[in-house]
Amino acid sequence: MSFVATLQNLTVRYGSFTALNQFSCEIPEGSTGLLGPNGAGKTTLIKTLLGFVRPETGTGEVFGLDITKGERRLRQLIGLMPEQDCHIPGMSGVGFVAFAGELAGMPAADALRRAHEVLEYCGLGEARYRNVETYSTGMKQRIKLAQALVHGPKLLLLDEPTNGLDPAGREDMLDLVRTVSHGGGLSVLVSSHVLPDIERVCDRVIVVMKGQLRAAGTIAELKKLAGHPVDVELKELNPAFNRALIEDGMTVLPGARTTIRVQANASPAEIHLRVQRIARTTKTQVRGFRVAERSLEEAFLEVLQA
Amino acid sequence: MTPNPTGPIADLRYRNYDGKLLPPNQMWWVIARQSIAQALKKKSLWFLMAASGWYYIIMIIILFFVEQNAAGSEMAKVAMEQFLEGIVWKDQFLNGFVFAQLSLLLVTLMIGSGTIANDNRANALLVYLSKPCSKLDYLVGKWIGVFLPLFVLLGTPTLLFYVYGALTFSQYGFISADPWILPKMVVVVAISAAIHSSLIVGVSSLFNQGRLAGATYAGIYFLSNFFTVLMSFFFQFSKGKAPDAVQYLTYASIDGIQTGIAKAILNTKGSPPFGFMPRNPATPIPAPNLTVALLLTALVCAVALFAAWRRVRAVEVIG
Repeated sequence: MSFVATLQNLTVRYGSFTALNQFSCEIPEGSTGLLGPNGAGKTTLIKTLLGFVRPETGTGEVFGLDITKGERRLRQLIGLMPEQDCHIPGMSGVGFVAFAGELAGMPAADALRRAHEVLEYCGLGEARYRNVETYSTGMKQRIKLAQALVHGPKLLLLDEPTNGLDPAGREDMLDLVRTVSHGGGLSVLVSSHVLPDIERVCDRVIVVMKGQLRAAGTIAELKKLAGHPVDVELKELNPAFNRALIEDGMTVLPGARTTIRVQANASPAEIHLRVQRIARTTKTQVRGFRVAERSLEEAFLEVLQA
Repeated sequence: MTPNPTGPIADLRYRNYDGKLLPPNQMWWVIARQSIAQALKKKSLWFLMAASGWYYIIMIIILFFVEQNAAGSEMAKVAMEQFLEGIVWKDQFLNGFVFAQLSLLLVTLMIGSGTIANDNRANALLVYLSKPCSKLDYLVGKWIGVFLPLFVLLGTPTLLFYVYGALTFSQYGFISADPWILPKMVVVVAISAAIHSSLIVGVSSLFNQGRLAGATYAGIYFLSNFFTVLMSFFFQFSKGKAPDAVQYLTYASIDGIQTGIAKAILNTKGSPPFGFMPRNPATPIPAPNLTVALLLTALVCAVALFAAWRRVRAVEVIG
């Protein structure tokens, strides 16, 4: 696996307040979610990646460029979609995005051509000549994404990309982000408090708390429960089936409606075979069988409480 | 392949940009260019630019008719020579400069008051500073974006008058009276534009609304100007016997300091406009000491720019 950023023992302080404390992590290529409660250090992490904040100790690289040196080239490789509304007053959509491209170092003609292209992609093709100040909340979110994408960054930092969007707008925005991060050729780091959004867009997460890394890995790994429990969905609950499972050495826990959670000191495949055998003998109809997992929210809360 | 009649014409899939990215060295110029382009879209700016040269235009018209009239008779030629003898050429540049001050203020307010204030309101700094653009680039770009239009506004009519005078009245001492008048005027105009740019950028950075910044700057300008006018009256009533402090206080305004520096650079006390010779001319106020005036002006401008530097803060990436 290759990484877009590698941070080692970073300590960032604002006066006496330590925002990042010996923080180490690796951000892999692809789509990564950045989770953590308010004041956890997510802001500082993004500021540090952009080279705005110089760490007191530690080292870090983004695409091989040292973040402690504050190199401007670094920001040519990164696109930022901030949480707050931001635009340049008095400009049309296409003028704003083209100007953002020029600010990133694109030649003026390329920036204008690319601005048209990116605005089409973000669904603002028909509104491109309107003054940005007249845009709706959803359109402002889209143009923020467009200005972050215009110079073709290799890493896109998205801060609460679905903030203030209606359900349809949220779906569209998540689709856009998912498309650019899956097959679009760029890596994405999404900071959001909306866990379903993260789950939908990202493959991996980084959990930060009190300036330290609490967990990192794929969402599937984070949601996995210890001991390989499996959820067995039945046509109807059968006490004889439950008793037979317990007699076979398995633990049975009630689940939602006609589902029971079965756990044993065996692999899910072995449990599957044993459950099938017992179902045949107790004449119980099994309708579904899947490895049990918790929700991302449960996993997140557990990591924070650990 | 059959085209889909209901589908989009363009290919809307995301494609990464793999074109050229220039080294991020001159972002200040990108910002300045954009500020100037925004300013030039305002139609009233063009009107004010034209109006700023009104003194030179009237002077050119007067000189043109005097010269045309002189071709008619010997008596008119003598009258023209007498008229031209009374004219101090460098004072015409000084008058042109002084009479353009109001237009200069209005243009400064129009293009400068919102230069940072509007960016503060719209969180535009997030856009600027997340790109390879430093705080210094941003401030220099904003400063140049105000400075260049002001320089052109003052410089164009000055150059026009110089060209007309040099082509038509060189035999009447237009050039020989002060061969360095053009470079001197370039310096005067540049200093004036720099003073306005520095002060308005500083004031603008303190606000989130361009209008408030403009009202504050106009307030400072007119109040300080009122004070210097009072001092000037006091100086006139005292028939030039007022203490030196009063003489210097006549220049203690945004408008006054520019006039003072212009007088000192052109080495003149000034004379009545359009070559008129009033019977009881006002006592001319001598020019201030150039070094002191420049140092004080540089100090005030530095304070304004320092305020802007402090106000343009690092980006808050996540609220």
